[in-house]
Amino acid sequence: MIYLPIAEMPVNVLLVLLVSGGVGFVSGLVGVGGGFIMTPSLIFLGVPAPVAVATGASQIAATSFSGIMTQTRRKAVDWRMGMLLSIGGILGSASGVWLFERLLRLGQLDLIISLLYLVLLAGVGGLMLSESLAVMRGRKAGSVTIFRRPIRGIAHNLPFRMRFPRSGLHISVLPPLFLGFAVGVLAAIMGVGGGFILIPAMIYLLRMPTNVVVGTSLFQVLIVSSLVVVLQSTATQTVDLVLAALLMLGGVIGAQLGARLGAGLKNEHIRAILGIVLVIASTKFLWDLVVTPPETYVLGGGLW
Amino acid sequence: MKRALAALAFAMLSTPALAQPAADVASNLPAAVAEERITVSSDYRGSYVTVFGVNPDRRGRGDIVVVVRGPTEDATVMRKRRVFGLWVNTAPVRFRETPSFFAVLSNRPLRQIASAQSIWRYRLDAAASARLDSEIPAGADPAGYRNALVRLRRAQGLYQEYAGRASPDRRGGLTLYQGGLFRAVVRLPANAPIAEYYADTYLFRDGRLISTQRVPINIARVGIERTIHDLATHASFWYGIVTVLLALSAGWLASVLFRRS
Repeated sequence: MIYLPIAEMPVNVLLVLLVSGGVGFVSGLVGVGGGFIMTPSLIFLGVPAPVAVATGASQIAATSFSGIMTQTRRKAVDWRMGMLLSIGGILGSASGVWLFERLLRLGQLDLIISLLYLVLLAGVGGLMLSESLAVMRGRKAGSVTIFRRPIRGIAHNLPFRMRFPRSGLHISVLPPLFLGFAVGVLAAIMGVGGGFILIPAMIYLLRMPTNVVVGTSLFQVLIVSSLVVVLQSTATQTVDLVLAALLMLGGVIGAQLGARLGAGLKNEHIRAILGIVLVIASTKFLWDLVVTPPETYVLGGGLW
Repeated sequence: MKRALAALAFAMLSTPALAQPAADVASNLPAAVAEERITVSSDYRGSYVTVFGVNPDRRGRGDIVVVVRGPTEDATVMRKRRVFGLWVNTAPVRFRETPSFFAVLSNRPLRQIASAQSIWRYRLDAAASARLDSEIPAGADPAGYRNALVRLRRAQGLYQEYAGRASPDRRGGLTLYQGGLFRAVVRLPANAPIAEYYADTYLFRDGRLISTQRVPINIARVGIERTIHDLATHASFWYGIVTVLLALSAGWLASVLFRRS
């Protein structure tokens, strides 16, 4: 047990390490920051929601940086695309902060958050799972139907086109900027890095090759989460350094193990795993929304 | 996110409210706390607050009530209601001056010691301390919200009530000794806010308040806990930068260590 100076509560060190290690493992495996599991887990452990959101961001920064190091060695980061996504992400998270306050004033923020989690996790997870299962079934049947990326999409027809040699793309800069922006908004509202939305969007909307998607999304997540840490600690002083250190320790070790295992796996397997994780996580939110609660009153607005 | 979250989490901490006693009530009841300063370091698991004092009545007549109060804060209580199959928080009710920590200890049940009016006037129970700050939604039960506030905080160990002496299976109590000496002990859980607390002692006789005493209890961080908290509040921008740098070096270190192994 150790007392957290900002959260103002004692926590079990081993439990926090275990949770952050598990989240880190998943994030290293599939290349998401893991905030969508980490933030609800911390709140479940009793950490106040604002502290969980702000401190979780520092763990996401650590995990994504460790992941980027590994991905860079594998030359799996499209820096140019990452920069574009990050610019969008910075603008998006600033707007998200503004939207967050508006929703809070309307008094329905936690409902919006729960619904967003439910719809996004279930939708994205289901999509990835069904698609990767289809690929796997195709392989077993002998017919090598590798997932076909259409050569031209909407990204090719918009102005301001730019070459992305690492991704082998020549597309407009507008879709990546917009995508980064949208993910930044969602990330700020939901208190997550946003990789779980970014990765499928990069695959299905930007038509990027799967092998650079993980590293590039980690770059955007790193930039946005670092910004969130500085913003939160300046504005709300809800970043708990002791908790952050514990989360980083568990998170980076887990992420390294996950990244190692991930290197030996096929793309469709990675996508299937991410899909399963997302669908499982979404059921938690469905459960909370549908099952009759034991206590019908909630205190302090109850963010989650 | 920032300002809204701050408002949500640290809703205005202020000094505990003590209703003004009537002019004929003396504030000279001999009472003190065992520890005027409680220190919080990295192994803090909560602590105990001990209040002791003497009933000045030679024959020991009267009843003692001890209230330990934390700083007051605003609170919102919402009601969950099913809308299209989903449980949604509806009908928020705002309270002002709710105690963040409230423990009331007495030598016998409070209702036998003081009238409902006195309990309300001197804010001797947690429900009486909260001030309603918004309209109760039409058709809703006003007492339901107030009771829910107390019930939820009690479940967190932040609101406690004890009548009679402490025993091994209870976390607090008030004991009367010979010669008018009394001693009240209450458990301060680790989740109680770190701030300035007050122990208020009341002497009642025949249902009337005779005298009171207010003693401050300072709960403060020490050592590394204090350093971190001071940095986070006074140098918050650099604190954020340091956290990010720590995150980056942790990530870098992990990737280097794992590459070699």
